[in-house]
Amino acid sequence: MVVAGGAAAGMLTRSHAANDASTKASGRPPGEATLALTAEGDLVLASAPAGASSHASDEARRGVPGKKWVMVIDLAACDGCGKCSAACSKSHFVPADREYLRIFKMQDSADTAPYWLPRPCFHCDNPPCARVCPVGATFKRDDGIVLIDNERCIGCRFCMAACPFTARSFNWSRPDNSPAAEAKGYSPEWGYPRRVGTAEKCDFCADMAREGKLPHCSGTCPMGAIYFGDENEDAVTNSKGDTVQLSKLLRDRAGFRYMEDLGTQPRVHYLPPADRRYPAPGERGAQTLNATKGATQR
Amino acid sequence: MSAMPWPVDPPALRKLGESHEAVVERDLLATLDPLGRRGRVWIVGLASVVGCALLAWIYQLVHGLRVTDMGNVVSWGTYMTNFVFFIGISHAGTLISAILRVTDAGWRRPITRMAEAITCIALLVGASMVVIDMGRPDRALNLLLHGRFQSPILWDLVSVTTYLTGSFFYLYVAMIPDMPILARDARARGRSPLLIKFYEVLSLGYRESPEHRRLLARALGAMAVIIIPVAISVHTVVSWVFGMTLRPGWHSTIFGPYFVIGAIFSGTAAIITAMVIFRKAYHLETYLRPEHFHKLAKILLVLSLLYAYFTLSEYLTTWYGGAETDVRLLALLAGNGTVGAVFWAWATFGLFVPIGLLLFPSKRSLGSIMTASILINIGMWVKRYLIIVPTLETPFIPAQNAGITPHYFPSLIECTITAGAFAGFVLLYILFSRIFPILSIWETAEDLAEVKHAPAPAPVRVHGRAMPAALPLLLVAVGLSVLAPWTTARAQAPAAPASATQIDLKRTTEDKEEMLVATVTANGRPVAGAVVVFSVLRKFGTMALGEDQTLTDGTAAVKYPHGLPGDSHGEQTFSIEVRSPPALAGPPVQVILGGAAPARITPVEVPRALWSTRVPLALVGTIMALLLCVWSTYGFVVSQLVAMYRLPKEG
Repeated sequence: MVVAGGAAAGMLTRSHAANDASTKASGRPPGEATLALTAEGDLVLASAPAGASSHASDEARRGVPGKKWVMVIDLAACDGCGKCSAACSKSHFVPADREYLRIFKMQDSADTAPYWLPRPCFHCDNPPCARVCPVGATFKRDDGIVLIDNERCIGCRFCMAACPFTARSFNWSRPDNSPAAEAKGYSPEWGYPRRVGTAEKCDFCADMAREGKLPHCSGTCPMGAIYFGDENEDAVTNSKGDTVQLSKLLRDRAGFRYMEDLGTQPRVHYLPPADRRYPAPGERGAQTLNATKGATQR
Repeated sequence: MSAMPWPVDPPALRKLGESHEAVVERDLLATLDPLGRRGRVWIVGLASVVGCALLAWIYQLVHGLRVTDMGNVVSWGTYMTNFVFFIGISHAGTLISAILRVTDAGWRRPITRMAEAITCIALLVGASMVVIDMGRPDRALNLLLHGRFQSPILWDLVSVTTYLTGSFFYLYVAMIPDMPILARDARARGRSPLLIKFYEVLSLGYRESPEHRRLLARALGAMAVIIIPVAISVHTVVSWVFGMTLRPGWHSTIFGPYFVIGAIFSGTAAIITAMVIFRKAYHLETYLRPEHFHKLAKILLVLSLLYAYFTLSEYLTTWYGGAETDVRLLALLAGNGTVGAVFWAWATFGLFVPIGLLLFPSKRSLGSIMTASILINIGMWVKRYLIIVPTLETPFIPAQNAGITPHYFPSLIECTITAGAFAGFVLLYILFSRIFPILSIWETAEDLAEVKHAPAPAPVRVHGRAMPAALPLLLVAVGLSVLAPWTTARAQAPAAPASATQIDLKRTTEDKEEMLVATVTANGRPVAGAVVVFSVLRKFGTMALGEDQTLTDGTAAVKYPHGLPGDSHGEQTFSIEVRSPPALAGPPVQVILGGAAPARITPVEVPRALWSTRVPLALVGTIMALLLCVWSTYGFVVSQLVAMYRLPKEG
């Protein structure tokens, strides 16, 4: 059932009679109530994801119209288990020498509480990386995502030097692309198959967001600590299926952005690690970071 | 400034009774004599080091940059150090030659060409280092196809290209009067006709005539003036590759002048080192005399004190300010570890010891000046390394917090390529000196003439045209908002299945409060006591609004989610579910209501922001204006040379 046109809906008065006329109802199983955007930017209730191969390069550069993707990470709920990073690495075929989403064990000073800091790419609204790229291989899209085109990147690594959050990795050696990665074909929206001598990073799972699915990190987090959503819609959702009002969440929980003082305007917000439900880093029973990382990652 | 007193009685001159021009010519042309065995061994040795470096580069191209010790934390290393170092060395030519030419310091004459050649060769080697550092040198053309003028790398590309072109011009213009002499000499030696032709073509038909002299002076004067701001801009934008980032130790307002001073400092040390070597290798003791070394030593002392001053103000202010990342960086730089040891070794042997060696005029000797210069050369390479690597080892979020220890030490491949860069620099320099005398014959002779014949033939006076100081680029970002064309998002709800339970949803105002009211009817009759759950659909899930029990008229109500945006048309999809009684419970029903606040779609596209694909007009305008100034001066120089070529030929 197609709803009435926007004009009719927009003209609704607040009287009962007028509302009755345009009230539409439909029953559908809850699991299928997925809104998805087609490549044309139309919002449809679709069960099948939009064809991945249909993304032209300039579309991957433009982004999803009308959207501004945003992430909120609840530091009070993060126990540092690293499942987000593992899911991310698995789905992006990330080699062992790097992580798109890296978890840091933080303690800002001796008398403040330790906490886990999951750090994806912040997809800054004033991105230092995109500023310095000499060839526009890294770019910011209209939907807020900062991506890298590894078919244009010249490998100067200026973006890596410019990123204050060390969010970027480099293909130092010839990549060992899996057949699955090769078969999918390249798009900046998922970043593989990889190419030697080019930079890469977290892509906010741009292809998943296009299909209305949460990014792998957010959808995997067993604590529901990573919320993802559309800022224009003022709502974010986590892996538990909780959809909450973004502005209210940030206001009530005193959300902040990491190193706001640098002026990069990240699109990733954090909720302070207050009233934790898990052992803090260093406490008994706390998660420990993979001790071999230092040897494999530089 | 007057000319340096020439040794009025050079023994050779008195014995042979030749004219001074003839002596100078003979002595300087003698540097082109075939190389002895030792010279040939040197050439072969240097060439094989360059060959090894080329092999190492091929190996790196095959295997990728993993053959270096760089990583995702320390992502720049030795190659960038070499780049900054060689660009710095290239300032030798500018200082010695252009500044001294503009101020008409006569004593510069025997060393100008040596300095200018350093500039050209160091620029070539330095630029090649960037290509070697690139992950995809095969895509270098993208810089032209997709170049963004917001990136300091583009500024580098433009200014280094401009500087390289200008330096070659400058070197060449000052060589023109020597070309006829070289052609004559080559003929006398019976050398290859190709070489003779080469010299003749380059001479542009130059001969000693007032008209030729005038054109030469104008070309040389314009070049000497314009090359100074170009050189300053080059090292400024090299520093801005670092300074424009937010990193501790890089994001410093004095980085431009700090690098420029460092460049002139290392360049002057390089020219002294080169003078020492050529003096010995080509037996030029008559022409490169202690006076020259002492003059340069004074300049070097001033520059080393300036560099110490800049270093102090850079590190003292960051240390005193005590920002967290700055403190971590300084703890690494000045601490007990390897980096700290290298830093203090540099401060001692690269700065304080040279200052000590140069400080007292009475203690200055050729040996101490030479030692100071070599220490400074090594030290400035180390300093560039200390600027680049420790900062990268100190990211804002310490890598140690993720169990990663950032470390970097040049790999064998990086060391080989670096050795090749230095060997290639020396080799190109030697090869240059095999084709062109390393001392300018005409200028050296002119210098001697000034002393010998007191009213001398009018020396080449430089009437530099006042060029706008091409100080580099100021950035102005213009932020304008333009609404992107917006595509309508529209929900399509599938047909509702026939159901006995009917849910109607409306929005109403009760007691001045907006409510969302659902009316539940079963078979046309309102249902009382049913629990209704209200939620609203968002992109990735449903946001709960609350639940309520229906009254006798079948209505249940929750507060309308005021302030929650709808889609771009102000429509919202609500999901209404009857949870109990079980007989009525069913899947949620989706209802689209209008009248919500339309989604606050803020325009994301800020045209012509620094990060945008479109360049800020003020920025590109400034760059183009500066380039126009410089390149039109080059055009003027070329026009003088063309005029010279068109002058009537001799005879």
